[in-house]
Amino acid sequence: MPYITAVSRLHHALTGAVAVLAVSAAMASSAAAQQAGPDAIINIGSLYEPQNLDNTAGAGQGVSEAFNGNVYEALFRLADSGEVEPVLSESYEASEDGLTYTFKLREGVTFHSGDPLTAADVKFSIERVMAPESKSSRRNSLSTIANIETPDDKTVVITLKQRSISLPYNLSYVWIVNDAAKELTSSADGTGPYRLENWRRGTSLTLTPSDNYWGEAPRNGGVVFTYFTEATAQNNALLTGAIDIIPSVQSPDSLAMFEGNPQFTVTEGVSTTKELLAYNDRVEPFSNVKVRKALARAIDKKRLLASIWGEHGTLIGSFVPPTDPWYVDLTGVDAYDPDSARQLLEEAGLKDGFSFSLDTPNYDPHPLVAQFIQNELGKIGVKVDINLITSNEWYTKIYQAQDFQATLQEHVNHRDIVFYGNPNFYWGYDNPQVVELIASAEASATVDEQVEKLTEANKIIAEDAASNWLYLYPQIVVSSAKVSGYPVNGLNSQFFAYTIEKSR
Amino acid sequence: MSVATQDDLSGGQKRRLPLTLIVGLILVGLHVAIAALTLFWTPYGPNDMAGMRLEAPSFAHWAGTDRLGRDLFTHIMIGSRIAIQVGAGAVAIGALIGVSLGILAAFATRTLDDALAATFDILIAFPTLLLAMLVVAASDGASLSSAIIALGVAISAIVARLTRILAKRVLEMDYITAARTSGTSWLQIVFIHLLPNIWPTLMVNFALQFGLAVIAEASLSYLGLGAPPPNASWGRLLQEAQGTVYTAPFGAVAPGIALVILVIGVNLLADGLRDYADPTRGRR
Repeated sequence: MPYITAVSRLHHALTGAVAVLAVSAAMASSAAAQQAGPDAIINIGSLYEPQNLDNTAGAGQGVSEAFNGNVYEALFRLADSGEVEPVLSESYEASEDGLTYTFKLREGVTFHSGDPLTAADVKFSIERVMAPESKSSRRNSLSTIANIETPDDKTVVITLKQRSISLPYNLSYVWIVNDAAKELTSSADGTGPYRLENWRRGTSLTLTPSDNYWGEAPRNGGVVFTYFTEATAQNNALLTGAIDIIPSVQSPDSLAMFEGNPQFTVTEGVSTTKELLAYNDRVEPFSNVKVRKALARAIDKKRLLASIWGEHGTLIGSFVPPTDPWYVDLTGVDAYDPDSARQLLEEAGLKDGFSFSLDTPNYDPHPLVAQFIQNELGKIGVKVDINLITSNEWYTKIYQAQDFQATLQEHVNHRDIVFYGNPNFYWGYDNPQVVELIASAEASATVDEQVEKLTEANKIIAEDAASNWLYLYPQIVVSSAKVSGYPVNGLNSQFFAYTIEKSR
Repeated sequence: MSVATQDDLSGGQKRRLPLTLIVGLILVGLHVAIAALTLFWTPYGPNDMAGMRLEAPSFAHWAGTDRLGRDLFTHIMIGSRIAIQVGAGAVAIGALIGVSLGILAAFATRTLDDALAATFDILIAFPTLLLAMLVVAASDGASLSSAIIALGVAISAIVARLTRILAKRVLEMDYITAARTSGTSWLQIVFIHLLPNIWPTLMVNFALQFGLAVIAEASLSYLGLGAPPPNASWGRLLQEAQGTVYTAPFGAVAPGIALVILVIGVNLLADGLRDYADPTRGRR
C-alpha cells in the first residue's frame, strides 16, 4: 500500500528529534542508577551547543554556559548576583591616575594539564582576546590596554592608555588559559573546578572534577551538558529524568508541564537576554532616524511579548535591562503608535513605504517574531521579506561581513550597551556623541560618573531608535526537585555547575 | 452505495469505476475545491491576528489559533493550495523532464542509453528529500519555487526510468517495426503509437509522485527549507505547533489530518486509476 510508505516518511521526519531523545534517555538512565549525593553526575540539557570550544573563535553562547567558571576561570568572575568577585586575582591595586593596575595572582593554582599558573599565562590570555584575529565580542572593551608586564611569576601589571573603570569587570570575560595549550577550539586547559572529559559533537559535553583544583571541590561528581536542537525533546528529557536541569526555558508552553508538579522546581530569575530587530544603520533607509523611529512605533511590542512569552518577560525601551546600573525606563520614547509611525515615514519621504529583507535565524522565536513584524509593518506600508538563515550564516553574513538590511537576534550579554559605542559593530550605529560618552564613561574616576554618562548614552540611543528593542526574555530555570544549588539569573548565559547538589 | 449496486450488475459491458478511484477523487476534490476557494475567500485574512494566543478550537476559530492569534483553519486552507501547487508543479516538471529523457533513452544508441540509464539510477539512489535539500541549498535561499523545482528534479529521475522501460517494451512490438519500415517519422511514432500505449501506467505513477511530493514539501518546510513564512505550508504549521504541542495539541493535529487526507486521497486515486486502466488487475 503506497500511502503507508508515504505517511511513514513524514513520520520519520517528525520523530527524528524523538529518536535523539530516546538515545540520550538511555544513556542517562544507566548513569542515573547509582547517582545521588556528592558523586552524582548532573545532567544539564541545553539548546546551545558550542560551535567550537574557544570563546575568541566565535564559539557562541554555549561555550560560556559550559565553560565559564566551570572549566576556565578568569581574574574576576561575574557572580550570579551581578557582583564582580576576585577569582585568580588575589588582590589588586590601581595607581592614583587609574592608569596602572597591579594584580597579585593566587598561589598554588595549576592548570588541568599540571602546569602551574604564572603571570605569563595571564598575559598570553589577555593578549589572545585582544589579538586582531580574535572574534571575542569584548575585544573592543580591552582596547584601552597599552601594555602588560610580568615582573615576576605571580604579578601582572597592566598599563592603560586611559582610565578604564570597568577593567576588572571586563577581565571577567577573559579566560585564563595555559600559554602552552594547543588546539583550544577542540580541547581545553583551564584552572577551573572541572576539566573537559570529552566533547561528542552534536550530542554532549562531559566535565569531570579536576584533581588538582585550588579551591573548594565541586559538590557533584561531574556534569554532562546534553545538547538538543529543539525544545520539545529537551522538555521530554527532563520529564523522563534523562536530564536534571534546563538552564533556560525558551517557551512558556513547556512550563505548563512542570508548574504545579512537585517533582519539578520552576525558578524565574533576571535575564539579560534582549530580542532585537537590528537594522544595518549604515544603509538606506535605516540610516534615517525617522525611519527607525517609525518602525519602533509601528510594532505593538506588548502584544508581541504576550504572543511569545504569555505572562512572562519584560518590555524594554532600549538595550539596557533593569539589572544594569544605567537603566532608566524608556519604554515611552517610541511607544506603540501606528499613526505617528505613518507620519514619520511621510516626513522621511517614504510616504509609499519601502521594502526590506529581514535575515531571520531559523530557530525559535525568531521566525514567529519575524511574521509578527511583517504583519505590523505591513500596516504602515513597509513590506518585509523574511529570509531564514542558520546561526552559522548569521555569524558570517551579518556579524562578520555586515552584509544585511535588518536582522533578528537575541543578545545575551550583561552591560553590553558598550556595543553602541563601537561604530564598527555589525549594526553600524555611529553617533559621535554616544561614542564619546561610552568612551569617557569608561575613563571615569568614579562609578557615579560612569553611571551618569552611560545613562545619558542610554537615553540617546533610545531617542535615536538605534535598533528596535523588542523585549527582554524572562530567565526561567526548570529542574528536577532533587537538584538544588544552581544559579538562577544566568547572566551572560553563564551556568556555574560546581554548587549543584543532587539528593535522593 | 452505487458502486455496490453496480457490483451486483457486473458482467455488463460497461467498465465500472473502482471504489478506490471514487473515494480518491472525493478526497482530492475536497482539497482542490478548498484550494480554489482560498483564491477568493478565507474565513480570516492569513495575517489577521484576530484571536488571542493559542485559542482552543471554537465556532469562531474551527482549528483554534496560533501563538500570534492567527486563525489556524485559514492557514490550513491556504496550506491546501500550497500543497496542491507543489504537487502539481513538481509532477509537471518531473513529467516533462522525465518523459522526454526516458523516451530519448529508449530511442538512443546503446552508449547514450546506458549513460542515461546509469544517471537515472544514481539520481534515484539519492533519497528524494536529500536531493531536494541539495537543490534548495544550491539555489539562492529557500522559496516555494526552489522547493517545487527541487522536487520536480527528484521526481524526473523516477519518471524517466519508468518511461524508458515502458517505451522499450513498446518499441519492440512488430507494429512499431512495421511503422518504421513504412517510413513513419520517429516523432509520429512517439505521439501516435508510443505515448497512448504507456500513458495509463505513467498517470498512475504521476499520482503516486504527487503524494510523495506533498509529503516531501511538508518535510522540507518542517526543516525550514521549504516555503518561507508567511506561506502557510503544512510542514511549517507542524513545525510551529511542535513547541506548543502540550498546551495546544490541535495546532499540530489539524495540519496533520489535512496532510493525511490529501496523501491518502491521491494514493487511492492512483490505485483506482490503475484498476480502471487495467480491469483484469482490479477485479475481485
